[in-house]
Amino acid sequence: MELAVATITNLLILSSMYILVALGFAFLFNMLGIPNFAHGAIYMLGGYIGLALISAVGINQWAALIIAAVAMGAFGVFLERFCFRPFVGDFNRIIMVCVAVIVILQTSVNIIVGTQIVSLPPFAEGVLRIGLVSVSYERIATFAVGAFLLGAVVWFVNRTKWGQQMQAISQDIEGAFLQGIKVHRISALASFIGCALAAIAGCMIGAYLSLGPFMGDFMLVKVLILAILSGVGSISGIFIAGLVLGALDSILPLFISGAASDAVAVGIVVVLLLIRPQGFFGHEAEM
Amino acid sequence: MIKQLSITDKRKWTKPSILAGLVVLIALLPVIHGSSYITHIFILTFIYIIAAVSLRTITISGQFPLAHGAFMGIGAYIAGMASKWLGWPPWLTMPLGGLMAMGIGMLIGYPFARLRALYYAMGSLFFGIGVTYIIYAGGIWTGGYAGLVGIQSMFGSSKVAYYYFFLGLTVVCLLALYRFEFSRIGITLKAIAQSHLVASSVGINEGWYRIMVVGVGCFFAGLAGAGYAHYNTVLSPASFGFMATLWLVMYVLLGGIKSFAGPIIGTTILVLLPEFARDLKVYSPYLSAFLLLIVVFLMPQGLVSLPKLVMSWYSERKKGKKITHVPGN
Amino acid sequence: MFLETKGLTKRFGGLTAVNHFDMYVNKGEIVGLIGPNGAGKTTIFNLITGFIRLTKGQIIFDGKDITRKKPHQVARLGIGRTFQLNPLFADFTVLQNVSASFHLHPRSSLLDIYFNTKKYRRNEAYILEQSLEIMRLVGLDKVKDELAKNLPHGYQKMLGIARALAVKPKLLLLDEPIAGMNPDEIEFTMTGIEKTKQQGTTIVVVEHNMRIMDLCDRVVVINFGQKIAEGRPKEVRENEEVTRAYFGDEHVAGS
Repeated sequence: MELAVATITNLLILSSMYILVALGFAFLFNMLGIPNFAHGAIYMLGGYIGLALISAVGINQWAALIIAAVAMGAFGVFLERFCFRPFVGDFNRIIMVCVAVIVILQTSVNIIVGTQIVSLPPFAEGVLRIGLVSVSYERIATFAVGAFLLGAVVWFVNRTKWGQQMQAISQDIEGAFLQGIKVHRISALASFIGCALAAIAGCMIGAYLSLGPFMGDFMLVKVLILAILSGVGSISGIFIAGLVLGALDSILPLFISGAASDAVAVGIVVVLLLIRPQGFFGHEAEM
Repeated sequence: MIKQLSITDKRKWTKPSILAGLVVLIALLPVIHGSSYITHIFILTFIYIIAAVSLRTITISGQFPLAHGAFMGIGAYIAGMASKWLGWPPWLTMPLGGLMAMGIGMLIGYPFARLRALYYAMGSLFFGIGVTYIIYAGGIWTGGYAGLVGIQSMFGSSKVAYYYFFLGLTVVCLLALYRFEFSRIGITLKAIAQSHLVASSVGINEGWYRIMVVGVGCFFAGLAGAGYAHYNTVLSPASFGFMATLWLVMYVLLGGIKSFAGPIIGTTILVLLPEFARDLKVYSPYLSAFLLLIVVFLMPQGLVSLPKLVMSWYSERKKGKKITHVPGN
Repeated sequence: MFLETKGLTKRFGGLTAVNHFDMYVNKGEIVGLIGPNGAGKTTIFNLITGFIRLTKGQIIFDGKDITRKKPHQVARLGIGRTFQLNPLFADFTVLQNVSASFHLHPRSSLLDIYFNTKKYRRNEAYILEQSLEIMRLVGLDKVKDELAKNLPHGYQKMLGIARALAVKPKLLLLDEPIAGMNPDEIEFTMTGIEKTKQQGTTIVVVEHNMRIMDLCDRVVVINFGQKIAEGRPKEVRENEEVTRAYFGDEHVAGS
């Protein structure tokens, strides 16, 4: 019973975190066709900035969370404007830029923190007990933040003018432009939001699990899986794919070793890709 | 199609002579510097050159697979396991590694060949990642997270012997890949890349050619990996994962994907330079990132285009005229 | 009958693009396949050459059933074709475009190619010679070293035809060969087609430009995926339904 609760909460947390980060990637990818391979590194850096703010500057975790989010959001705007936008459509240049960014961010973290595993202090203390079941408040808080942000994103994309413009751009960028949508501003906004969300996820995972120099690579794989399974142009697809992957990642390791469950998960993805390459929810990519 | 110069014509021998001279120079290096560490770095460079050039060879067909590190890994682990568990000598395990990589590459290439560029790239990416996970999950047989140890060493502790072995191997592999590209086979592949419709209509079995070139590229990747296994005698799955593949791609793109020499230059610079700038120590990755950014912003065609760019910039200054495009791209 | 289609049908989902299309071509003929835009002419070509799979029907060429054959196999059997949108090997020169198309005749084995054997070198020399010959035939020899993508439109179409000829086709399928050409180029191309026929090649030409009919021995008219008329050019020109199909659609003939 304890195990079931722990697994379910783990599933919910992993899923929501994967989706949070994947959304940032999907925004740029759907709208401008840019595969931001550096997004994992952004997630990682967000977590480390959070840690730095808490331990070096001594502020409260929640404030650190917000500051880290804003910082990475700003970085995202910078990246999009100067490193991605000039090279839209040129896959070769974009991956080179992404690798350069990854290297710079990872090296900087290595130099400042070193490679030991560190973690953020938990966002909530204590344990909630209901009858036979107990759940840590930390898990609840992490999932709550994740769910709240996801809900906010859904509301934003569907109900606000900007969100709808984002949808329009991802369906037909030229049409959107001709309709008078300020594509550049919206893409900057999307980049800001995406990177801020990734930073928040970085801090939350940094508290829930830990921070490590390879957490970016790890998350990037999840993000790419979600992006490709859901297909280009679909936000709801990411939610569903995120749940599926979160489920695989929390349930499979109960039965087979961690590495084997990773292998199985990726194997399933490869098979699905062969069956239906354009993903299950989006429209066809033009490349 | 290419003007055939008579074999006694001096012009035909200029380029090969220069290259031969270069090889001789490289061969003399260990004698000159006598540093075991530098020799080690060069050995790694040789191995990665084979992998990078073979990756680029696949791309001339228009396919852009993102799993080359994993194929090095397949070659390395097959060779390593054959050596450790079956006691096979290197001259058997290396071809075995190459052939296994080739076989798996072609097997995977078959269903993937019909995917379009983006999905092909993603699919190969996930496949490569999956390979590393399988290695991690291999328990005793692959050594899992701890790595595979106890692989038979080829030349014991003599780094110099390895150096000459890999130098020779690299030269042979490069010649093999060069001939592959500049014969009618290469032309057919480039034709397929430009228009698979037209290629089919003139009788080219483009599906078969695509798989074949993947097989060739993967063979050399596996071979390089197997060589590495017998050099390092220890293998870790992390060396063949997603980042390894990305770096191989960087070696190709930095040098220039459109030229045969591109990946050679890219690998050499990205592997050697940080080592020789060792004063930078921990900061050396910044140098690599900086190089990548320079190419992205200033010479998107890669470092091979540098001479051309310099010449056109120079002639632009000389003539005082504005040049609107760089010729010969 | 050299080429025959029986009951050729192609459905894309709910849309029937080609509907029980029966056609035959005799050896040495030039047959015109004409009809308004969207009538299904290019689809028929794509079905015959194996680029799309048919829903129903049969295709027989030179006594062999080629219904399920793939494009490169169809080429190997002796059918060459051009494409409506005329894709080319854009980054190759004109000469390279043609010589790369000599994949089938003469055939060097992979080993011959790789090890640069005498046979391979002989074949390559022959290919070079033949390529120059073809380029002279279509009038492209002066631009042989130009990149294909830099050629003017008319020249590009000629290049498409040159490429198809490299297959040494027994049957040549031309998809809108004179579309977008100026009157001089049209004249030149039509003469070239006539010359090719005289050398023994059977030709089927798809066009919506009625001028092509002057060349043809027979004409098949298609509309909405179905054959609506067939016969000698003169007969077809006077056919009422044909005129309705063309002029009733506000179709403007000619380039």
